[in-house]
Amino acid sequence: MAEVVLRRLLATVPVLLLVTAGVFLLLHLTPGDPVDAMMAESGDATAKESLRRELGLDRPIPVQYVAWMGRLLRGDLGRSIRNGEPVIENVSRRIRPSLELALLAMAIAVLVAFPVAIVSAVRHNTALDRLGTSFALFGICLPNFLLALLLIFVFGVTLRWLPISGYLDPLDEGWSGVRSLVLPAVTLGLALAAVIMRTLRSSLLEVLGEDYVRTARAKGLSEWVVIRGHVLRNALIPVVTVLGLQLGTLIGGAVITEYVFALPGVGRLVVDAVFARDYPLVQGVILLIAVAFIVSNLLVDLIYGWIDPRIRLR
Amino acid sequence: MTLSRRDFVTSSAAAATAAVVGLRPRTVAAQTPKKGGTLRVGFYIEAATMDPHLSGSKVDRQVYHNIYEPLVTLDVKLGIKPGLAESWSQPDAKTLVFKLRRGVKFHDGTDFNAEAAKFNFDRMKTEPKSIRKGEVANIDSVEVVDALTLKVNLKKADASLLATLTDRAGMMVSPKVVQERGVELGRNAKGAGTGPFEFVEWIKDDHLLIKRNELYWNKQGGPYLDRVRYRPIPDDTVKLQSLQSGEIDVIDYVQPRDVAAVKADKNATVLDVPSLAAFAYQLNFGRAPFNVKAIRQAVASAIDLEQIVKGVWLNVGYPANGPIPPTSWAYDKSIAPIKRDVAKAKAKLVEGGKPGGFEFTMTTNNIPLSVQEAEVIQAQLREVGITMKIKLVDASTLISDGNAKNFEMISFQWSGRPDPDGNIYQFFRTTPGTSFNWSGISNEKLDALLDRSREVSNQAERKKIFSDITRILQDELPMLFIVHPIEPKAFSQRVQGYEPIPDGMMRFKDVWLK
Repeated sequence: MAEVVLRRLLATVPVLLLVTAGVFLLLHLTPGDPVDAMMAESGDATAKESLRRELGLDRPIPVQYVAWMGRLLRGDLGRSIRNGEPVIENVSRRIRPSLELALLAMAIAVLVAFPVAIVSAVRHNTALDRLGTSFALFGICLPNFLLALLLIFVFGVTLRWLPISGYLDPLDEGWSGVRSLVLPAVTLGLALAAVIMRTLRSSLLEVLGEDYVRTARAKGLSEWVVIRGHVLRNALIPVVTVLGLQLGTLIGGAVITEYVFALPGVGRLVVDAVFARDYPLVQGVILLIAVAFIVSNLLVDLIYGWIDPRIRLR
Repeated sequence: MTLSRRDFVTSSAAAATAAVVGLRPRTVAAQTPKKGGTLRVGFYIEAATMDPHLSGSKVDRQVYHNIYEPLVTLDVKLGIKPGLAESWSQPDAKTLVFKLRRGVKFHDGTDFNAEAAKFNFDRMKTEPKSIRKGEVANIDSVEVVDALTLKVNLKKADASLLATLTDRAGMMVSPKVVQERGVELGRNAKGAGTGPFEFVEWIKDDHLLIKRNELYWNKQGGPYLDRVRYRPIPDDTVKLQSLQSGEIDVIDYVQPRDVAAVKADKNATVLDVPSLAAFAYQLNFGRAPFNVKAIRQAVASAIDLEQIVKGVWLNVGYPANGPIPPTSWAYDKSIAPIKRDVAKAKAKLVEGGKPGGFEFTMTTNNIPLSVQEAEVIQAQLREVGITMKIKLVDASTLISDGNAKNFEMISFQWSGRPDPDGNIYQFFRTTPGTSFNWSGISNEKLDALLDRSREVSNQAERKKIFSDITRILQDELPMLFIVHPIEPKAFSQRVQGYEPIPDGMMRFKDVWLK
């Protein structure tokens, strides 16, 4: 097992190289540079040139990439150009809220999606099923920012049950930390629940039509035992795939939700860094997001083997 | 010439009677200010650094103006008033002598004196990563005359330098802190300033906290607040809702679209703070179609500024007659903004050799307000037969396109400077190489006036020169000036005593909570 994991991790090295080189190139090809962004209100060309030299931005792009890679191999991600802070500190501070948000959103999604999907599949083609699928359609169609603003208006401004924006770490602040994450997690979780519900429902329907389910029923098992023991586990594979892919997206791509709720997450960090053309910071965050995707996919593969022992990792 | 406090009050008051339009300072009636409380402030973005010499981010200044102090500072009418310098004199056009205030201490307990001031200027000029280099480029050297006298030698006469020193370039940082802390000053400004508040802590992405300086040198008025807590809230709607629900007490900016709603809310007060800004479009003199003066004039006559300010800006701004905002002592209200005149626009098209109209591209910011403005201009131009395409870009691309003169018409949103020079000289003076003169205008008469505006120090005389410049700009049209925006700020009803200075900075020295 450990060997499999190690081998898989080694195979990610070329992926990371490709991702970082691609992003580096794209970033430098984009018009504008960090000095212009930082000194946007200064027309002094000589001052800008000397700052560029100081930051090493006047060197050819391949040289800059190799220099960055060299530092990376020594464990140094460099310093942000905009605020001079080490990239590693900037990124590690941002990863915690993003992870907490992603996990909470997933928990909400699973809690909502599983019962709805099971009821929909078991009561296939009834009014209950149609209610369930309509809910899912609604969840997929409703844009993030709209749902976020609606939630803020109802629970923050009108009822005043939950804070409107800002972040407190649940690991340090306990309950008030969880409260600060509820609205954003619901915003992300509801859309995710819709996707999971659709996937699980169709996968359940497929399994429900299998011979062994009929056999189980013929043995006289109760419907609940059939679903729990025979159907659900076999229907889980596609859902786990979706969850794995979404975990990566939630960590790096919850930009709008992070903006609206003023959460200091990874998505906002990378967007702000791109606008500021803060090259080292963008590189650092992209590296992190790529690693997040790779790890969550690896997890998915490991879980496959656990759910269905016929799938073996080689 | 020595400026006393009275001189500057009378001169700026005279200039300002005509200038300030629509300013409604909050009346602090007969209430006595009360000490205590924490003021919670919402900003659109997190500060970047606490080191004023390395700061390139506009929002940083909002914090600086409470913990650091410049040598001279601004009053509500944009007059220059004493700051850390008690008075100043100008023995000749190229020399400025500052008398520094006695008994001022940095928050770390060290003395502020001429040595410290010299240290700051030297650092701005020589520190490799200094962002202030351009602002202090005209300072040749700084000499310590005695403990409280500082002599600044200029390379050439510059009437606008004092105004530059009211912001980051004039802010004094404790030399001891700089030497001991190095880059760490960027995120920890403990002990670094002399201002009414002291830096306490900055938890990045969460909040920045400052507290009252109990030993503040100025015993008149505040600081009253125990603490000020800044929080970044990037979404405008959410920031506003946070104010309305009482999570924060102050927001730095209200979008024009929200102003009416907030004014109707009895839990909040909106204060219209006229800004120093001039929002315009630069026209490229170096390529067709705007290398022809008549064509530039055709476009200018086709645009209806009043409709734009009313329809897009919802009257949260003033139609612009040129680069100088109505808040400035140099604003000349006898010069009207360019009026829409369809017949004239069509005649100018004929004169420019394009009777059937023409097509060009406008480059502008991809933000809602800019897009709306572009669409209105597009519709107005279509009525005289001009087809305008819109290219939307992000801020960095816009600057790079402008610097490379890679545009036909490009949005130019200048936040403005207290002295009119900062809104004018660098944009219209003939400059080889990269500069903010994106249009590429090079006009001998204009150059002569621009140079003269720096040499003359008499305010009335400078005002006349700036009026002449404004008239030339309306004729030559390197820029189409659209609007001088108002920057409304909003407060909860508890907040008292805020003084709106048109540079938009929120100085909380005299603010208190009911």
